[in-house]
Amino acid sequence: MDHIDFKVRKGDVFGFLGPNGAGKTTTIRMLTGISIPTEGTATIMGYDIQNESVEAKEQMGIVPDVSNVYNELSAWDNLIFTGKLYDMPKAYREKRAEELLRMFDLLDRCKEKVQGFSRGMKRRICIAMALMNRSHILFLDEPTSGLDIQSVLVIRDLITRLNQQGLTVFLTTHNIEEASQMCDHVAIINHGRIVAIDTPEKLKRTVENLQSVEVAFETAPPNVLNELKEFPNVSNVVKEGDKFRLITNAPSSVLTSMWNYTQENNLRLITVNTLGPSLEDVFVRLTGIRPATEEEKTDRMKAQEIPRRMAKR
Amino acid sequence: MSNVRSSHYGREIRVAWAIAVKDMRTYYTKPPSLMFGILFPFSLFLSFSIGRNMPLATQIPILISQTLFFASSSIGPVVIPMERANQTFDRFLTSPVSLFSILLGKTLAGIIYGAGVSIIPVLVGIALFGSQIVNIVAMIACFALSSLAFSALGIMFASIPGQTPGQVMMPLNFVRIPLLFISGVFTPIGELPTWMQAVSMLSPLTHTVELARFASGGEAFFGPVLNIAILSAYAAVFLFTGIRFHIMNQRKE
Repeated sequence: MDHIDFKVRKGDVFGFLGPNGAGKTTTIRMLTGISIPTEGTATIMGYDIQNESVEAKEQMGIVPDVSNVYNELSAWDNLIFTGKLYDMPKAYREKRAEELLRMFDLLDRCKEKVQGFSRGMKRRICIAMALMNRSHILFLDEPTSGLDIQSVLVIRDLITRLNQQGLTVFLTTHNIEEASQMCDHVAIINHGRIVAIDTPEKLKRTVENLQSVEVAFETAPPNVLNELKEFPNVSNVVKEGDKFRLITNAPSSVLTSMWNYTQENNLRLITVNTLGPSLEDVFVRLTGIRPATEEEKTDRMKAQEIPRRMAKR
Repeated sequence: MSNVRSSHYGREIRVAWAIAVKDMRTYYTKPPSLMFGILFPFSLFLSFSIGRNMPLATQIPILISQTLFFASSSIGPVVIPMERANQTFDRFLTSPVSLFSILLGKTLAGIIYGAGVSIIPVLVGIALFGSQIVNIVAMIACFALSSLAFSALGIMFASIPGQTPGQVMMPLNFVRIPLLFISGVFTPIGELPTWMQAVSMLSPLTHTVELARFASGGEAFFGPVLNIAILSAYAAVFLFTGIRFHIMNQRKE
């Protein structure tokens, strides 16, 4: 990490967005006391993570990028053990565990060993464990990475609900859509440095010239990509599936050109959209990195799973 | 209803105990624990004792020492790398307890495992081979101090930042196996040359063997008081060095 400095407002969902290896996990590890920084300080709800680590850690819950549950124990025992780590009295930890298992829709399977649970269920248990101590701030490292769509939606909904109840959330992600949808503030990190930090909308405004017109033809002519690039005021054209995205700073001019083009070539448009700049545009401009596709993320996750399975043996 | 308890030290001890109990439930029956902690010392003992013209009752202290040595020192090197790989060790580091309590919990798990495994030869010796405990205090001291020292030795080696038990067991065995040869396990210390006796005094295993022999009615070459003092010193050194090494690891990350 290279001299990062930022504040997270109480009650915010704060996103740490960056490519792999940018330093997201390292930051979380330093903020939560797992790693010790060579210099600098971090304060969690007013407590210094190095000098008042016990008090600071009492304020937080952490969900790492892999679900670090005890597979040999049941969901119930995992939560109870977490309660013991926080030295919660027996009656209180049992009440809290039941409350969380009900909230996370896991109560009916709480006595089963976690081993047989799906990734999404394990992630939910992990979040429940992080909330056992009624933490004020929840650290989530890539919370939806490697999960199926249904689990992703469930986890995002849970995070939103918890935030609405007053929980401050600090999440790292390389999923731009997730950051854009969920975060009140976003920091974009690259090579260990924060390159931008603001609300998603304000960040988008920094690349206002990156508006675009998205079109889909009923039948696209063979040389359409090169022909669209010749349009005035178009800086680039990207093919996304059966759609073409024309990057421009003058969408109305592009719409006029598009009308003329379809008339001259006797083409029929089935989709026309004008789009404002996205957080992805901001990310690409600041980091120069194209975000990973879902397929690439899944491949990467599978590659990480192999050594972990070997370690379990 | 209050959700926290008072007393800092009480809290640290309760958490350490919770970690130890969890380790017992989770890791005692894992193949590396069984292999390095039980199979290894028993098969080593059998390969040494079979065919020797030695009454079994006199061999029981050797078996007790070996099981205390291997079983106690194996739990840390099995549990900690596996917890690193599954990131469950991070769960401890992010909970509001000191690193000392975390490692104390791990040490306790090693102590209970070592003592639990080593009680078997004591009971079998008494029940089947007529061995006896003539000094119960010496035997308790042998069990308590040896399992503590060896468990702490295992925790110290587990600071090696590996993610599989093998990555820690290999360097640990570079220390454990030579100790077997200089600790009066195979040859009584009185029969060793003087310079070897001086070397063997430095080995913690020597003092376990000596105390076990003394408690079973045999002779302790260095005397039980020195045995207890040296084992206590090693327990403290291993425990505190282990904590230092684990802190250094955190800084290196």
